[in-house]
Amino acid sequence: MAALSSAAVAGQNSDFAGLRLASTASVGRNVARRRSLQMVDEFDLPLEIIDRRVTKMKMISPSNVAVDIGRTLKPHEYIGMVRREVLDAYLRDRATHAGATVINGLFLKMDSPPAGSGERYKIYYNEYSSSKSGTGEKKEMEVDAVVGADGANSRVAKEIGAGDYEYAIAFQERVKIPDAKMEYYKDRAEMYVGDDVSPDFYGWVFPKCDHVAVGTGTVTHKSDIKRFQAATRLRARDKIAGGKIIRVEAHPIPEHPRPRRVLNRVALVGDAAGYVTKCSGEGIYFAAKSGRMCAEAIVEGSAQGTRMIDEADLRNYLKKFDKTYWPTYKVLDVLQKVFYRSNSAREAFVEMCGDDYVQKMTFDSYLYKRVVPGNPLDDLKLAINTVGSLVRAGALKREMTRLAS
Amino acid sequence: MASSLSPSLPATFSTLSSKSHHHSHSMQISFFQRKLSSLIIAKSSYTVSEVEATNGPLKQEEKQVEDKSLNTNELGVDIAEAQVFKDPKWRGGTWDLVQFQKGGVTDWDAVIDAEARRRKWLEDNPEASSTNEPVIFDTSIIPWWAWVKRYHLPEAELLNGRAAMVGFFMAYFVDSLSGIGLVDQMGNFFCKILLLIAVGGVMLVRKNEDIEKLKKLFDETTFYDKQWQATWQEDSQIISKNK
Repeated sequence: MAALSSAAVAGQNSDFAGLRLASTASVGRNVARRRSLQMVDEFDLPLEIIDRRVTKMKMISPSNVAVDIGRTLKPHEYIGMVRREVLDAYLRDRATHAGATVINGLFLKMDSPPAGSGERYKIYYNEYSSSKSGTGEKKEMEVDAVVGADGANSRVAKEIGAGDYEYAIAFQERVKIPDAKMEYYKDRAEMYVGDDVSPDFYGWVFPKCDHVAVGTGTVTHKSDIKRFQAATRLRARDKIAGGKIIRVEAHPIPEHPRPRRVLNRVALVGDAAGYVTKCSGEGIYFAAKSGRMCAEAIVEGSAQGTRMIDEADLRNYLKKFDKTYWPTYKVLDVLQKVFYRSNSAREAFVEMCGDDYVQKMTFDSYLYKRVVPGNPLDDLKLAINTVGSLVRAGALKREMTRLAS
Repeated sequence: MASSLSPSLPATFSTLSSKSHHHSHSMQISFFQRKLSSLIIAKSSYTVSEVEATNGPLKQEEKQVEDKSLNTNELGVDIAEAQVFKDPKWRGGTWDLVQFQKGGVTDWDAVIDAEARRRKWLEDNPEASSTNEPVIFDTSIIPWWAWVKRYHLPEAELLNGRAAMVGFFMAYFVDSLSGIGLVDQMGNFFCKILLLIAVGGVMLVRKNEDIEKLKKLFDETTFYDKQWQATWQEDSQIISKNK
């Protein structure tokens, strides 16, 4: 959704008929998401859609060692919490103003022309106009290019045989807690790590407009998700006591890009392509950015809409995206591999997060989407501290195993 | 009713108890009921606290089971017990180093033991995090030499022993085959390579399983890259197909 809207806006300055199929069926993740400053600036998001500004985070280790993060944030820096329904509606409206035609419909399938022929694609979809109710009417449309932004269970991806990816299941409960307890979460988000909460992800308590979202996720043990959720609730028990669950939601989160992201004149962006980082599970910014990049590549490749694009133009978007964000993805992958391995690694991780330099680097890269090499001396100190933390945690782990036997 | 402690216990309960009676094995059963209007349904039961006399610091575990509380949501959730880690040396969310003094200096080994025990306890019995008494213990307060003495030195001794044995045997073997003495072997390039392999092997492969682990590790480091490159593998195929 975010991807396609920004794609439409990117094409606004040229002679384009930007059509958008905004499916009600894919209303998708109605969860509030974190937003970063980079996204707010780059996509000119109005500050009204941000429900809350989170400036404090608490990382809690398996043995409940709590570390406060956010000391290094400057007064104007924050992590914005938005509701997807609000953000998506805003982006859709903006796309409409930019000249896109928004159709409330569900993509069903499409007929692809033979490769290299230059003929148009035929899209079959269900249109849900306000007059008719229920199933909507079947319609067809012919288009030159298709940008698939229909999320993790993308049908466009299926049409082009993009292949599968491993995915995590993110499970979340929205809990309305008493005002006194909500005060604690006014601008604070919490992250819980531990084998009890998730074997390969983290549990969280994020504040929304007037309630909190308590959730967790996993890739490898999806059938145990309820158990992990119960453990997350236990860890936060005293802070959400007296709360009432008002909503339960779950969503798949891709772990890596699909084997195929572009085929002839069809491209995938956002979750459909699998652009979610490891370790933090961030996908909204990359969805919007990839949508924009794809649209820009189409605009450029078609010389402002004067000639038909081909696959090479779409591959330009892939090349640009991969080159710009590969370091971010790789670094987060390494972090996940090193620090989410086991409880002892997570203890070391939380210990490391207490360090000011780590916090500054983390926030700089998260808020501004850049992997910035810092001062080399500080980096060396950080490396030594990391090794130290991991070694100590590992040594304690050996003691623990000795105790168990 | 206040809980009465058996005389052998120096520690005190910091929570309210309403009933207690003695066991012949100096075990205590005390009551703790906490009413929570929370989203957790609880079974009504009594609490049991066991006291174990160990060589180290005494540790009292309290099992608390909340009674039936207001069920404010439709989801039935279990998790009815809360076990809390308690230890006389654990104060204010960290280990009280004053209590670890032995002969005027802090007994770091005991601190390491205590922390390992705490982590093991919490791994088996996850506990709610608390805001009024957050855990702030940081393992870096234990000085580096305490860790080195306890963990690195024994292992270093083992590895050096292995390296020495391998080195001695290889030197003898090469000498018997080629007649080159030890000093001349060190000057030879091929022998230097063998030395590197021997040292590296001794350090990396400490158990038989390590070979498999190393192979998996190497695959892991490049796996993510391969997943990202997947879309580019088709590049050449597509171009040739379109021609």
